[in-house]
Amino acid sequence: MLAARASTARNAQRIARSFATVVDSTGVKVAAVDYNQPTASVTVLVKAGSRFEPKEGVANALKNFAFKSTKTRSAIGTVRESELYGGVLYSTLGREHLALTAEFLRADAPYFVDVLTSFVTSAKFTRHEFEEYVAPLVASEAEAAAHDPATRAIDAAHQLAFRSGLGSSLFAPAHNDITVADIKSYASAAFTKGNIAVVGTGIDQATLASLVEKAFAKAAAGSAASTPASKYFGGETRLESHGGPQTVFIGFGTTGAPSAELAALSAHLSTTPSVKWSQGLSPIASLPKGTSVQPVYLPYSDATLFGLLVQGTTTAGVKEAGQAAVAALKAAAKGIKAEELKSAISKAKFAAASAVDTREGLVNALGSKAFSGSEISLESTLSSLDNLGVDAFSKAAASLLSAKPTYVAIGDSHALPYADELGL
Amino acid sequence: MFGPLGLSLAPYVRSSRTLSKWLTPVATWYANSMGYRKYGFKYDDLLCEENDTVQRALGRLTTQEGYDRAYRLKRASQASVLHAPLSKDQWTPVSEDVRYLEPHISEVMKEEAERQNWDNLVVERK
Repeated sequence: MLAARASTARNAQRIARSFATVVDSTGVKVAAVDYNQPTASVTVLVKAGSRFEPKEGVANALKNFAFKSTKTRSAIGTVRESELYGGVLYSTLGREHLALTAEFLRADAPYFVDVLTSFVTSAKFTRHEFEEYVAPLVASEAEAAAHDPATRAIDAAHQLAFRSGLGSSLFAPAHNDITVADIKSYASAAFTKGNIAVVGTGIDQATLASLVEKAFAKAAAGSAASTPASKYFGGETRLESHGGPQTVFIGFGTTGAPSAELAALSAHLSTTPSVKWSQGLSPIASLPKGTSVQPVYLPYSDATLFGLLVQGTTTAGVKEAGQAAVAALKAAAKGIKAEELKSAISKAKFAAASAVDTREGLVNALGSKAFSGSEISLESTLSSLDNLGVDAFSKAAASLLSAKPTYVAIGDSHALPYADELGL
Repeated sequence: MFGPLGLSLAPYVRSSRTLSKWLTPVATWYANSMGYRKYGFKYDDLLCEENDTVQRALGRLTTQEGYDRAYRLKRASQASVLHAPLSKDQWTPVSEDVRYLEPHISEVMKEEAERQNWDNLVVERK
């Protein structure tokens, strides 16, 4: 029993401790957590998301250029050697960050850190690799995105909501004139020490810091990339699409740091039931057959896009579901019962906490704060949700609704409802 | 082993000042006497292109280089039809007779060799 109590105490201590402290290792920010997982991962986060790109689609092309030939090893060498070690390499692009990630067995850290950092410090960006491997990937990603109404709607909503900066698309235009020189100059501007954070999971902080220090010894020093602060505009657009569900996105944006109110609002409206096969308690739980409403909550460093993605097989169904969703949103702005808010807060807290359980969620949580260099903990997120009151919640929802909405309709654009028909 | 992509003493000759001084006039004379320059060709236009390696290398030329190569081949076949070399102002000057394709071919060959190496690698447990 004593032993059990001791272990509980230890666990409590571990939870109370922040995930990781960010240390500055020769100008590069390093954060790591180690829960004794069997595998480890290292992510090099670069402030090179689509918001910083000088030309449409360059960030996407740079993402697809990851792990091609460098001064240390060729593209095939990287692939085959990583296979021999049994690791996984991938790159992901967000609007703010480009993430280069390697997942591997704990002993192989030196090799995989070298693979990641050698791309950052000495990628060759050859023209033939761009034409033979990268350009087809860029084109196929753009093609796939164009065929998915949800992705397309959220991309178009960003453009309407923020125009430049956060508004730039994650994908390249279908007919682009990206050259390898564009990618090279974007990479050389982005891959500077001040612009990079390294996040590790399942690896000791000191080990990672020493590996990073060695690898970035000769990297170019430079300050972090900056763009003009985001501004919210809003607007309406209707796009034709063939196949796929009829889609409507009703969005609202705010500027400034992400707030707990919107996370709670998203949880309040979420139609995902807590118990399988049940309807859930969401105010928009009863929808016409064949339609769905999903709240979309996308926090960025200086702005947030919140919205409801309404999808359905028929335009009439989408109209009805959209009206129900807007009515629920307006009801939330007028006032919400204390117990409803309580369950919304619990749901939001669980979502925030369980996101940290997964590797991607942890890297996102660490990455968003690694650049600011602040202490990272789950506590602050949870306590800000805990302190949320009914009044603050309704006020936030009302101020959200008072701005011009971002409205995107994709599908049969002649039959889909207009924003005013949904009661916006 | 022999042929345009085989073993070559040229780098060694070029590295030695005396040797290159002696041999450059001979080389120039030999290249001119081959006659390809009179048909507007560059030396790399003569490389055998009917294999995957060279085809891959040809794909790596810039658009401009590709167009120029096609033009030279067309012009030379027309001259061949006429059974006469081009007029002297269209002959390839020595300064323009550069190896524009050979670096791409050796790059492709290096990649193929590396792929072979990885394909046949024997991994040993330490």
